[in-house]
Amino acid sequence: MTQQAPDTGGSARTLTMARAGREAVIAEMRKDPNIFVIGEDVAKLGGVFGTTVGMAEEFGAGRVIDTPISETGFIGIATGAAMAGMRPIVEIAFVDFIGVCFNAIFNFAAKTHYMSGGQFKVPMTLMIGYGGGYNDAAQHSQCLVATLAHVPGIRIVTPADAYDAKGLMHSCLQDDNLTIWMVHKAIWGLGWLGTAIKTAMATVPEEPYAIPFGKARIWREGNDVTLVGYGITVHHALQAAEKLAAEGISAEVLDLRTIVPMDREAIMKSVRKTGRVVVADEDYMNCGVTAEVLATIAERDPRVLTAPAIRVANPDIPVPFSRPMENFALPDADKIVAAAKTTLQSSC
Amino acid sequence: MTDITVPQDLWDNDDEGVIFAWIYADGAVVEQGRLIAELTVEKAQLELIAPASGRLRILAPAETIVRKGTVIGRIEPL
Repeated sequence: MTQQAPDTGGSARTLTMARAGREAVIAEMRKDPNIFVIGEDVAKLGGVFGTTVGMAEEFGAGRVIDTPISETGFIGIATGAAMAGMRPIVEIAFVDFIGVCFNAIFNFAAKTHYMSGGQFKVPMTLMIGYGGGYNDAAQHSQCLVATLAHVPGIRIVTPADAYDAKGLMHSCLQDDNLTIWMVHKAIWGLGWLGTAIKTAMATVPEEPYAIPFGKARIWREGNDVTLVGYGITVHHALQAAEKLAAEGISAEVLDLRTIVPMDREAIMKSVRKTGRVVVADEDYMNCGVTAEVLATIAERDPRVLTAPAIRVANPDIPVPFSRPMENFALPDADKIVAAAKTTLQSSC
Repeated sequence: MTDITVPQDLWDNDDEGVIFAWIYADGAVVEQGRLIAELTVEKAQLELIAPASGRLRILAPAETIVRKGTVIGRIEPL
């Protein structure tokens, strides 16, 4: 299902998430000379996920900067540049590499505005790919969204389609704080990464538009059970909702869209209606985003639930390399269907 | 009327490619020089540009396997 985009006068274009995000970056870079992109393979290659194709040609080597494999180095360069008044975009192709960036992110980028009494802003945007499902093993398949969400001072968005990708990128680039824009690898829109998930493609207006932080999105309305997800699990939930509908069960699909700040009111509004919730996340289960969703319900009003909540997440194990083992572990539509049916069978 | 042909110089070898997605729907009005489709070859995502302006007719839908020289659509005059 796609969100209605305003009529631009030209023919409607269906774009991939990579292309839509890139449009936002290019538009903002044309407006503001302080924005530059730095990362591995962003210039010559145009980004491992096609996020910066054509940009080195348009903006030059000074504004689209290829680096060696040196995340600790270039996150430091970008953080310092941001404090000095520039607006860097750092591409971290695989979230798994974020470990060597923790100090710059957690102790400087997330805290300097506060610790300097507002004297220094850090208007830096990280552009990150995450997720598995294509046999890239434990060190290249993680999500780590909860890890990044845990430390205060960071805004995190996880668009699930091209329309949201562009709108949220505009919001990230216009924000004066550290913002992280994260896209699951399976929904970038890259044929070579395996089966493309076509529900991530969407009609995208040509002109810029910003989607505000902290607003979830209902992709499908329903009455019997709420399926909460973000990124790829929105698409799994949509498939699950179709399968459930064939059995007479009406599922509502809620896309968190922003992880920090989370739209807690949207979660409550949905579960007040349905009374049942399944939260799906490809990140590890323990202390995850799923737990934060359930904590929200438990704190605000657990009485809205008529059955125990169920989390469908990656088990707390390293992501396996073996295909059958990885498929066994990863959340998918069938696991969400099974969880939804369980909520309908049990009751508090 | 202009054929939309997979260009001979779009990629280096004689590998097959696949139409990943059409940017516009069948019947849409398109402009010469604009991106109208994305193709995937090996690990590369390639761009197909409209050779003329007019109404797009899609002959080969997304997921069709193509070779260089394959006619995948037409642009008809308005």
